[in-house]
Amino acid sequence: MKLLQLSSLRDLDGALPIAGGTEVVPLLRQGLLEADTLADITALVPRGIEGSRIGAGATLAELEVDPQVPAALREACRLAASPQLRNMGTIGGNLLQATRCWYWRLAYPCRLHGGDRCHARDGEHREHAIFANDFCASAHPSDIAAALVALGATLSTTRRELPVRELYRLPSPDDRRTTTLERGEVILELDVPPVDASVYLKAMDRRRWAFPIVGVAAARRGVETTFALAGVAPVPWLLAGSLDDATPLAGTAYKAQIAKALVERARAAVA
Amino acid sequence: MARLIRTEKEVEGRNEEVWIVVDEDALEQWPAGPRDVVGRPQARNDGHARARGEARYTADVHFPGMLHAAVLRSPHARARVKRLDLAPALAAPGVRGTIGPGDAPELGTECEYEGAPVAAVCADSLGEARAALALVDVEWEVLEPLLDPDEAVARGSLIAPPRTHERGDFERGLAEADAVVEATFRTQTVLHNSMETHQSVCRWEGDVLEVYTSTQYVWGVRQEVADALDLPPDKVRVVCDYMGGGFGSKNSPGEYTFVAAELARRTGRPVRCALTRREEHVAAGSRNATTQRYTIGARSDGTLTALGGEFVNAVGADGWVAMTEGPMVMLYDCPNLRSTTYGAKLNLPPTKAFRAPGFVEGTFGLECALDELAAKLDLDPLELRRRNHAHSEPGGDRPYSSKNLVECYRRAEPHWERRHEVRARSTATVKRGVGMASQVWYGGGGPPSYAWIRVGSDARATVVTAMQDVGTGTKTAVAMVAAEELGIPVEHVTVAVGDSLRGPYATLSAGSSTTPSVAPAVRAAAADAKRQIQEMAEQRYGANAGKHSLRELLGVLGNAQILGTGSRGPNPTGMTVLTFGVQVAEVAVDVETGEVTVERIAAVHDVGRVINPLGASSQVEGGIIQGVGHTLSEARLVDPASGDILTTTLDAYKMPTIADVPEIVTELIDIPDTQLTNLGSKGIGEPPIIPVAAAIANAIRDATGADVRALPITREEMLRALAEAKERSREAAAAV
Repeated sequence: MKLLQLSSLRDLDGALPIAGGTEVVPLLRQGLLEADTLADITALVPRGIEGSRIGAGATLAELEVDPQVPAALREACRLAASPQLRNMGTIGGNLLQATRCWYWRLAYPCRLHGGDRCHARDGEHREHAIFANDFCASAHPSDIAAALVALGATLSTTRRELPVRELYRLPSPDDRRTTTLERGEVILELDVPPVDASVYLKAMDRRRWAFPIVGVAAARRGVETTFALAGVAPVPWLLAGSLDDATPLAGTAYKAQIAKALVERARAAVA
Repeated sequence: MARLIRTEKEVEGRNEEVWIVVDEDALEQWPAGPRDVVGRPQARNDGHARARGEARYTADVHFPGMLHAAVLRSPHARARVKRLDLAPALAAPGVRGTIGPGDAPELGTECEYEGAPVAAVCADSLGEARAALALVDVEWEVLEPLLDPDEAVARGSLIAPPRTHERGDFERGLAEADAVVEATFRTQTVLHNSMETHQSVCRWEGDVLEVYTSTQYVWGVRQEVADALDLPPDKVRVVCDYMGGGFGSKNSPGEYTFVAAELARRTGRPVRCALTRREEHVAAGSRNATTQRYTIGARSDGTLTALGGEFVNAVGADGWVAMTEGPMVMLYDCPNLRSTTYGAKLNLPPTKAFRAPGFVEGTFGLECALDELAAKLDLDPLELRRRNHAHSEPGGDRPYSSKNLVECYRRAEPHWERRHEVRARSTATVKRGVGMASQVWYGGGGPPSYAWIRVGSDARATVVTAMQDVGTGTKTAVAMVAAEELGIPVEHVTVAVGDSLRGPYATLSAGSSTTPSVAPAVRAAAADAKRQIQEMAEQRYGANAGKHSLRELLGVLGNAQILGTGSRGPNPTGMTVLTFGVQVAEVAVDVETGEVTVERIAAVHDVGRVINPLGASSQVEGGIIQGVGHTLSEARLVDPASGDILTTTLDAYKMPTIADVPEIVTELIDIPDTQLTNLGSKGIGEPPIIPVAAAIANAIRDATGADVRALPITREEMLRALAEAKERSREAAAAV
């Protein structure tokens, strides 16, 4: 495997972009991602934080302490991973991390891998989804993505601008991908518009260094409060209706209960 | 004077009568309380070496030309190798050797669990070895796995015949009861996850096999490897300088040692075989899951009249049936008892000993059931335990060598009294409470263990014993004992351990036995050296010898050195040697989200004389942290259809982080056991983990009224218990 130092993102040419490497390296080692060539994009992607604009190369560690960053995003960064991982991991990479579903990580021939069943639905699924879990019950692990969706953030790539929400898509029988990012397309920058108040609350199995059982981001502009949830669906979940619409599996009903409590707390916190 | 004696030997609850060579243990114990060195806090004598990275663990052993082995393991819970061709792997770049089923102990074709070793490859680099593994041409016949422990019991798939205990008349005891608690508890499978994975480096020096290994038993590895390879034991040298944790999972050589030894023999090169972290999660052993069904009866004053239990240990493909019933049989003075324990043989990875095996699981069930009984009888849980205190071994009159559990209860009182103030800090959503649990365990150690000590004219000493310090600080404790006996500073004592070629036999580090087994031998050796020095000094100084310092006395030696030898004497006959303790936990429960936060644990333990209070409190903290993981977050999860292990990484298998650690208050009773050895010390490796889960679960009941019935106490278990408690109080209200 080769590691290229490019002078321009235009020269990617099929190479796999790598920045902090906290997600790419484990996936490569596990054979879940294959590449002949890696391209170090650290020097090619913006990493500063200026007002509402955040370079995709900014690390979670930089974001969690920057007062320009809305509270929900700061908290989502602070509660993610471990200090070592936050020192390496970038916000752009964080948005693209794969599910922690153990069946997917162990390369079961599940639907996300192109197979014809969801092993989690009949199997061990306490960490899995309560929404949109019929085809694939995996849960999206990113705290940061939920915060950005709630904050109404947009992002720009080497090819387009789009709301963060539209970076994600639910996997379907004819397309198993969970993001809309095309091969060779790289996230460059985020724009996080200001809000009147925001918060991120997270339930996890231990007090630090755990993916969310349920993460709840809330952002208020005037009288409008937007909620987005992590760990409850195959993609970051914008809460459009009620949590009563959830379709939990036998082993994930508890997540709906926790989500309800956290949504109410988040609502009170931003009021 | 060495002699052969017949004595009882106990390892983690298994007793056997053995003949052992011992010296007289004629030394009087030191008076209780801190001495010049012993009984005073002492930093680890190898702490700096560890912190600086100078300590040589097995993971640090590298030899020129060393090869790296990788093991082909069954990816299926139950499968048969139908066809195996290692030739493509042997032809791969860098590969120097391959072995298959039958070439080394434990490599086989009938795979009874995921991770069962089948074949191995060694190559110039680990990367090449692992790449070559993927090229092995293997065809599996996948068979239906047996995964459910109750089904295994029903089908008679057992590791051993069911084990029963019976005393008095259980049915009559139950009939005499004013209150009866029937409750079922479940505990999960947890993994040791030592920082240093299981590993060995083997090399042949002529006809001697050198085994550098991460082990809890230098001498056991020597014997087992010699037996397996048909070598005289003195042709096997086992070395373990520093050890990165075992917790019971490294008592035997393991397939990695046999693989390294055989590949080293075939290639003529040193070979390392080390488990990866993923293999550690699958194939390195575990604490078995249990189901515990209790029926406990008591009179209205709390006097226990009947203790009954049915226990199922989900042992896995191999292992032994740990004493899950142990706490019920041993902790309380109840005349009527009946228990049956089944060990289910399943297509899951083997059980290996794990820090107080059986007792950690059993104490959770027993002590939770006892608190449910206290609630039913409206009695104070601490008072209930006092009323049922056993003054001699339950069911007989065999005395304890020492027991200060009542003193532990007394010392626990101030912590227990905090419950009123703790509860008062509850809010509408966060309920606080305090719970307690008692602890019984072995920990007396026993013979044989031997030590030598070398003292020079510079008044510095070297202790030599081929024990292993598994990270518990035994090396520091024995240096303190030697320094105390010789009257020299502890910094002037060097301790050489972990080499079967260089030192005498020492015990297996299991059952909290290393310090109580080895330290008395070290004291005996130091006393032997001191006696020789005094005799020589009298030849030089006559009656004035006593007026000279040790250094002056030793000055007459010149370049000569005094060699003292010592052995561990026998345990007291006709007495039961045990450790006791109590822990008091304070928790906060978020009743809306099911979050449990352990805020404080006070641990009061009785382990006889405390040699190093700093080392002992460190052991208590380690045990409690490991116990918090066992209680709240750790669980090995298995796919219910295939038996595949799903939690194979440290993010999926959730050990506690430093943020999960509560305030820990350690109190040690520190009264020497006057019947036990020349020191009166017992071990403290295991006791602190035993009551943690029950104390936390009982604190949760105190806080919320909810009966937790399963470990780990995840959000879902906590929310289930809260919903059940709510339903119960609604029914009670309706009944009124």
